Amino acid sequence: MEAYEPVARPVVQVIRPSARSETPPVEELKPKIRVRNLDFYYGAFRALHDISLDIPEKKVTAFIGPSGCGKSTLLRTLNRLYSLYPDQRAEGEVVLDGENILTTKQDVSLIRAKVGMVFQKPTPFPMSIFDNIAFGVRLFERLSRREMEERVEWALTRAALWAEVRRKLHQSGNSLSGGQQQRLCIARCIAIRPEVLLLDEPCSALDPISTARIEELIHELKSEYTVVIVTHNMQQAARVSDYTAYMYLGELIEYGPTDTVFIKPKRKETEDYITGRFG
Amino acid sequence: MRPARWKDVAFEQLTRLFALLVLGILAAILVALVLESRPSLDKFGLAFLWHAEWDPVQERFGALVPIYGTLGTSLIAMLIGIPVSFGIALFLTELSPAWLKRPLGTAIELLAAIPSIIYGMWGLFVLAPLFQAHVQPALIESLGALPLAGALFQGPPLGIGMLTAGLILSIMVIPFIAAVMRDVFDLVPALLKESAYGLGATTWEVMWKVVLPYTKVGVIGGIMLGLGRALGETMAVTFVIGNAHQLSKSLMAPGNSIASALANEFTEAVGDVYFSALIELGLILFLLTTVVLALAKLLLLRLARREGARA
Amino acid sequence: MSAVVSPMTSAISPANPLYRSRKRVNVFMLGVSGLALVFGLCWLLWILGTLFYEGGHALARAALYFEMTPPPGADGGLANAIAGSAVLIAVATLLGTPVGILTGTYLAEFGKRGWIAPATRFINDVLLSAPSIVIGLFVYSVYVVRVKHFSGWAGALALALVVIPVVVRTSDDMLRLVPNSLREAAAALGCPAWKMILSVTYPAARTGIVTGVLLAVARISGETAPLLFTALNNQFWSLDLNQPTANLPTVIFQFAMSPYKDWHRLAWGGAALITLTVLALNILARSLFRRKD
Repeated sequence: MEAYEPVARPVVQVIRPSARSETPPVEELKPKIRVRNLDFYYGAFRALHDISLDIPEKKVTAFIGPSGCGKSTLLRTLNRLYSLYPDQRAEGEVVLDGENILTTKQDVSLIRAKVGMVFQKPTPFPMSIFDNIAFGVRLFERLSRREMEERVEWALTRAALWAEVRRKLHQSGNSLSGGQQQRLCIARCIAIRPEVLLLDEPCSALDPISTARIEELIHELKSEYTVVIVTHNMQQAARVSDYTAYMYLGELIEYGPTDTVFIKPKRKETEDYITGRFG
Repeated sequence: MRPARWKDVAFEQLTRLFALLVLGILAAILVALVLESRPSLDKFGLAFLWHAEWDPVQERFGALVPIYGTLGTSLIAMLIGIPVSFGIALFLTELSPAWLKRPLGTAIELLAAIPSIIYGMWGLFVLAPLFQAHVQPALIESLGALPLAGALFQGPPLGIGMLTAGLILSIMVIPFIAAVMRDVFDLVPALLKESAYGLGATTWEVMWKVVLPYTKVGVIGGIMLGLGRALGETMAVTFVIGNAHQLSKSLMAPGNSIASALANEFTEAVGDVYFSALIELGLILFLLTTVVLALAKLLLLRLARREGARA
Repeated sequence: MSAVVSPMTSAISPANPLYRSRKRVNVFMLGVSGLALVFGLCWLLWILGTLFYEGGHALARAALYFEMTPPPGADGGLANAIAGSAVLIAVATLLGTPVGILTGTYLAEFGKRGWIAPATRFINDVLLSAPSIVIGLFVYSVYVVRVKHFSGWAGALALALVVIPVVVRTSDDMLRLVPNSLREAAAALGCPAWKMILSVTYPAARTGIVTGVLLAVARISGETAPLLFTALNNQFWSLDLNQPTANLPTVIFQFAMSPYKDWHRLAWGGAALITLTVLALNILARSLFRRKD
């Protein structure tokens, strides 16, 4: 029997080298979110150890790493979603626009509206496509019928879904295919015009064609939004992100421009993971 | 064939026999009630359902008053019970600290364990006098003056009547409805709730606009389950409804329900027609509750199947 | 369109009036939901409080347990009713439990194919919540009418019909919780199905089934409606199930509805006794079941 021989070169090819060559080091960019000395606990279990990183504005940052490494946990501190659960707590600093959101007196629902999130599986609400989009908008703005229609069209267009659903806006969100549902969730998020978009393995439940459409969409969205994506798919991280953070067992192992992390990783652990020699 | 094989077959057939027996119970109840109510069915026909007369001396019977009482008290119970149960389920799923969830849930469930005769007795000796002295005079004073709806709140304050019975019924159905609501709310995928919170929605908005529509089918099933209980409840109602065969607009006048008419009159009924009229009341009650409960069950099954398909 | 496009966060600010009113609605509704819980708990405490306030004295008197139900105006206890109830409950449980367990066994072990199991499960759930007074009517019309007198047997039969659906439901649920690997392990040893069920599945599900039986006993301890037309009542000590049999719920009903103060006192005593028993059984069943998982 032939033993599995891991290849030495990266299995991941960077697809858009043109955009990459100009990626400056993180430190040179204006950070949208600064994470400092972040520890995270599920009850007594410590899931994140002293994480510090800057997430640059209007770029795509990817968190990669094996399952259980804490990448989703880190993402969920960025909009304080974890605080829904009383046994979860974070210590340290997560500074968004100069304010530490872990300790701020500001209401969490405002933070969450500013920092939108899309999940592993599509989560259309049990209502029509139109109302799915309008749901979030109605939370913060009182719009006329016409303004709301415009807003829905705008959000669906941005999410590359308008052409497919314009004739069935009043059907249930559940009637759409999985890929369409996920774009609906992205549209729902951007309809309230957040500044940051968190994507938690947004393509893990989708087929390759739908995945490609979402990736294209992410690429377009970064002109206006700061995007943070968690993915277990290294090719995906390489394709869509400008910066990549590799995490392992709750620690940040390496963080830098995606090209560097994938082609010339500084740390041995990162290289092992990237080249599939991991484990 | 292996030697032990016949024992397997015998055991399976034995258990199957008992399963069929349980199936047969429902059919047997139905058949027995229909047979026993024949004299009344023959004499009054369908008109039994909408005649209000109840005259044992002349042997003329109609079920309108008890049907009205049964539906009326159950409606009051639902009007109070549904919102309260929703509030309780909301508190238990979203607001309660983890360590309080179990004791609070158990306490509410214990409400269902208290025998109905206790509710009845307590209603008669504690709640009714209180109603008579304080609540009903206030209601008559304030709501009785309203046009149209005012008729519901007129007459002397007796303490007993449909309103008191309905309130007690509502306390009795709350644990059933609240338990189903809590269970179906727990079925809602965490991701769905998180997406709504992630947009900046408040707890109330998440529950009211996302969780409730998502669990609609199950919630309706739970409500029907409670309704089935309320319709068939006997002792709690018998103590406080007043047991008068009269049709009154006021919720404070004494009335009757199917179950309480049976409880009060059955052992004293003389004559075939009187007797069979009472059994026919029982038949109506059984059909009514069976349909409601079967619908409840179907709705809950549908939700469970949907969940199964999704998982 | 451009006005719509620019990411604008002025709406997402604490000063937004819409946001403020939503916050107020949220706080208000959550407060109301807390009140709903308090509303529910209040009744529980109020009812229990009344019971022990009114019935406490009677409970503490030995006469309650050792003297017969009295005529109005005389002193007495509930001895015959307590004994009658105990016998009725015991007989009903003995009649109903085997039927319930065997039916549950069919549903969980054999009913994978065919229509019988789903249909039985469905009908059983309907029976579970069917009005118990109708059960009384049914037993009256098939039994009491035939033998022409009220009797303890009729009462026990009616209560057994209440027990069956409870036990069917719990044993079905509990047997289905037994992991299939256990059954497969027994089958792999060449154990025939009947033996496997008796010696592997039943013991594995024992706690759950016992819980179900306890809950059924709790349920029938307070049932009144099915006894009104079956066991009726008896002023005297009689454990002959062919005679009308005294039982607590019917005595409470009769005494509470009477105009006599002594009878009211006894009724409160009986009510407190029943409630204590039922709550104790419920709590016992819960703690048994919880210890298991």
